[in-house]
Amino acid sequence: MHDRILYRLTWLAAAMSLGHHLDHLIRHNAVGWPLTDQVNAFTLSLLVYPIIITGLLAYRAGRVGPGFWALVSGGGAGFVSAVHFGPAAVEPPELILDHYQPPVLGWLAFGWLVTFVTVLAVTSVYETRLWWQQRQAQRVTRPPTGVGIPR
Amino acid sequence: MRATTPPSAEQPAVRPQPGVPTVATGVGAAVVLVGTRVALWLGVQLGLAGLLVLAGVTATGGQVLDRMAGWWMVYAALVDLGTLAVIGWLLRRDHGSYRGLLGPPTTAWQVALGAVGVLAASVPAVVFSAELTGAVYGQATPPMFAVVEVPPLASVLGVLVVPLLAELAEPVAYLGVVLPRLEERLGRPWLAATIVVVVWAAEHACYPLLTSGGGVDLEFAAYRAGSVLPFLATWTALYYALGRRLLPIMAARWVFNGATAAALALGLVG
Repeated sequence: MHDRILYRLTWLAAAMSLGHHLDHLIRHNAVGWPLTDQVNAFTLSLLVYPIIITGLLAYRAGRVGPGFWALVSGGGAGFVSAVHFGPAAVEPPELILDHYQPPVLGWLAFGWLVTFVTVLAVTSVYETRLWWQQRQAQRVTRPPTGVGIPR
Repeated sequence: MRATTPPSAEQPAVRPQPGVPTVATGVGAAVVLVGTRVALWLGVQLGLAGLLVLAGVTATGGQVLDRMAGWWMVYAALVDLGTLAVIGWLLRRDHGSYRGLLGPPTTAWQVALGAVGVLAASVPAVVFSAELTGAVYGQATPPMFAVVEVPPLASVLGVLVVPLLAELAEPVAYLGVVLPRLEERLGRPWLAATIVVVVWAAEHACYPLLTSGGGVDLEFAAYRAGSVLPFLATWTALYYALGRRLLPIMAARWVFNGATAAALALGLVG
């Protein structure tokens, strides 16, 4: 059974991720392979697109459920937060805010990033709830095995 | 553990779910509730300032408003008590229950786990707010914290009682009462949620009232609304994501606001 909201949230997160990568391209700081010869967090972050495409195909085929998406969204939120907001952030907010003229564009790009991470986190919470509800539903509908069957 | 009936997977999360009472009254109740909160914020601050002027404590209205602002985390209790009174009146009128406003049944561990999720999801809002504060006030403590100056007993009240009252009143008013009524009236949950977030943020511009250049400090008011906006947007989105369960959001907010009040009381801020 496929959840329409899960699909929408996944597409929204993918679009926001694309927008953030576009921001990297415009600023041309904190970028890596294939734009430079350096493999770094930027390069690693590009893995999200094949993960999303594979995940959507697997979800459609019933191979993965909301639990998988909760891990992808939650992992994404953790990764982007660590890279941008963490104590050892490789790309702190200043690298975005101080690289645009006029400054309002920097705030727009930073606001986009904040919204992107929030969307990932909220999506992960939603998917976790969905996963839990499906587990509960499966437990209720599962036929009893062995116990109480008269011999 | 109490089992809840899972909604259909095809059913949008924004639709009323089992355990959530349908809205009995119109948008008028929402206007009354928000209007009461704003009127109370302004009334309490201006009223207390007026009393101090009458008592001859300070010379000008501006000075006395700034002086009263030091108590905003304490007199917030009056606003929240007023809010609870209006919610109680609406519930009696509509034959509803306070528990019904909090959403479907939620076990203690669900509240705890949900609260952790809410706190984690609030990190981007914290970062945005910190950057905005840095851009407007540099390294200085933001004015709403810098002005707080109360005796120890009032600090204890501000840490133990006020954050609890705030959780019982504020999110319940906006997400439990105002949002469902707007959704029903507008028929578009995203529009209703956007209005709630904007109005909720705008309410924050009313407290504390600070003065600058002989008038209300509008730059601070705008900063105040802007700095809380991402928090309120996050919590409103989480309200939907959690299946309209308010308790995890209330618990997380209580931890967040209580910790801020405690840090202020202990002199750890600034």
